[in-house]
Amino acid sequence: KQSCLMGFASHKVLKIVAAPSAVNPQCSNLNRGFHRAALRLQDESKSDKPPSSSSSSSSSSTTYHEHYQATEHDTAAEASQHDSASDPAAEQPERPNTSYQDQSGEHGEEYETEEQLQSRILTAALEFVPLHGWSMEAIAAGAETLGLSSASTGMFYNGAGDLVLHFIAHCNSQLTEILAEQHKQVQLGQAEPKKTADFLREAVETRLRMYIPYIETWPQAMSILLLPHNIPDSLKHLSSMVDDIWYYAGDRSTDMNWYTKRAVLTGIYNTTELVMLQDSSPDFQDTWSFLDNRIQDVVNMASSAKQVESRKNPNLICGLET
Amino acid sequence: MFQRRSRGQKYTFWLRDGFRDGESEERIKSYHRPHRRSSMQKSEYTCDHRPRVYKVFENVAQKYDIMNDAMSLGIHRVWKDALLHVMHPQPGAQLLDVAGGTGDIAFRFLEYIRLQEERQKRRAARSSQTPSWQDISNNYSTEDESRESRAVVCDINKEMLKVGKQKADSLGVSAGLSWVVGDAEELPFDDDQFDIYTIAFGIRNVTHIDQALQEALRVLKPGGRFMCLEFSKVNNPILSSIYDAYSFQMIPVIGEVIAGDWKSYQYLVESIRKFPNQEEFKGMIEDAGFYCVKYYNLTGGVVALHSGFKL
Repeated sequence: KQSCLMGFASHKVLKIVAAPSAVNPQCSNLNRGFHRAALRLQDESKSDKPPSSSSSSSSSSTTYHEHYQATEHDTAAEASQHDSASDPAAEQPERPNTSYQDQSGEHGEEYETEEQLQSRILTAALEFVPLHGWSMEAIAAGAETLGLSSASTGMFYNGAGDLVLHFIAHCNSQLTEILAEQHKQVQLGQAEPKKTADFLREAVETRLRMYIPYIETWPQAMSILLLPHNIPDSLKHLSSMVDDIWYYAGDRSTDMNWYTKRAVLTGIYNTTELVMLQDSSPDFQDTWSFLDNRIQDVVNMASSAKQVESRKNPNLICGLET
Repeated sequence: MFQRRSRGQKYTFWLRDGFRDGESEERIKSYHRPHRRSSMQKSEYTCDHRPRVYKVFENVAQKYDIMNDAMSLGIHRVWKDALLHVMHPQPGAQLLDVAGGTGDIAFRFLEYIRLQEERQKRRAARSSQTPSWQDISNNYSTEDESRESRAVVCDINKEMLKVGKQKADSLGVSAGLSWVVGDAEELPFDDDQFDIYTIAFGIRNVTHIDQALQEALRVLKPGGRFMCLEFSKVNNPILSSIYDAYSFQMIPVIGEVIAGDWKSYQYLVESIRKFPNQEEFKGMIEDAGFYCVKYYNLTGGVVALHSGFKL
């Protein structure tokens, strides 16, 4: 998909976390394998904290090391991504910046790449966001919990923007997993397929619920996303998320519908997010009822438009009714 | 004019016991720790630039700051401020400024941290409501626990450190500042001590740059940052010709007029030309073991700021 290549060409952190959202659903097993492998890496790295433990005896780390060496000479990032994408059990290491990383076992903690370390730091920083806001202080506190000096925050040239974008990418990948899981359930016949409107409603609600722990500071995060140098990345995340939701909703359209549907869902999502920011009802009930109403509006509009247009051009609007 | 030191007065490398004779002068407090490596042979020292470099800076120490302003037309302040801005130190960070001489970077570092802390306090005061007595007492206990940021200025040359100390006294800055005599190729510090290592306009004077980089890697904590400000290659041909003309014709003249020392500033300009360019230096930093190495060109390449992380 086009968004797949856009993900590769852009910000390096997103290569790791956003890759699943851009991959087709038949690789959904691969996504979960990657997620498990990422968790395993986190556990390994925590246990391998003393730098001289390069001779750790766990077999998974040695296979990682071999795989890492094998991909060290890849010159094209796309090639390495596709190669490693076919091996679900292994990590997806990025092309390393320097070629000497695998020469000796001295760099014990360097069995991961810089981007993976950065995403680990940002994940650790998320728990300090309620305290420090979306800022470099939160990243510094996150780095310190990993045992790194606070000076390592200098790696994040975009500062707070890196943290927010990392969080958004993380939420998107979680959403994709949930949707893929549901899709699998439906395929296996264990669950009933939902109507489109319900599906959209639940997908948007699930996605927005991920903001609830950070809702106090979310206005700050939104303002960071609107900074000019962050707009391309935030729009890319938004569009890939909306694309995923529509894909799992069953949309396979190839005409103007593709654009109108995504534009509509983007509008619904953004307005609901804004409502959520100032919602004080228990468990955000007002927000979800607002969401219901908006989706209902769209359904009504689509069906009435269809009635009007059906005589002229039967193929124009489809998929939103029922 | 400044005082010239009499001949025959040798400097004490008192970390290497009995290596050189020296005068007993006012000792500047140092971190005394036995060296891990065996002391080097005397012949190695006489073959390198250290005595010459030492003499150069010994001669110019008193006028160092004035000369910096005159030669760079005051732009060196902008460069040093840019270094701090890129560094963006967090409160509690420990800085080691090697070849720090008169302490410019260390003063700016402490000021930056002080402003950061004030800003944080203001933000915390604004957001918190009237704290209860429990909260106030908790705040008192946590204030002492948080690490205070510290700046250590290390230089091979005692004269430069003396000038720096005088500056510190006149500015009234004393908390969190230490002055240490030491050689960049063999730092008198333990491993994993510092968050940030800076060397501003000093690394070209080091004989074995790779050793200095290795030492930097050693004393930095994991996650620590290495930052180096140094003169570098100007790529733009027009700017390059202006810069060359200015360097070779104006700077020694200024040196003679203000500091009375043509040769030292001739040496300065030549050492700038001999220093590797941005990409080569970046390669050297990566070879030493730093990651995420990046450089920023300031003033069109006249000065380059290199940064690397120990990960």
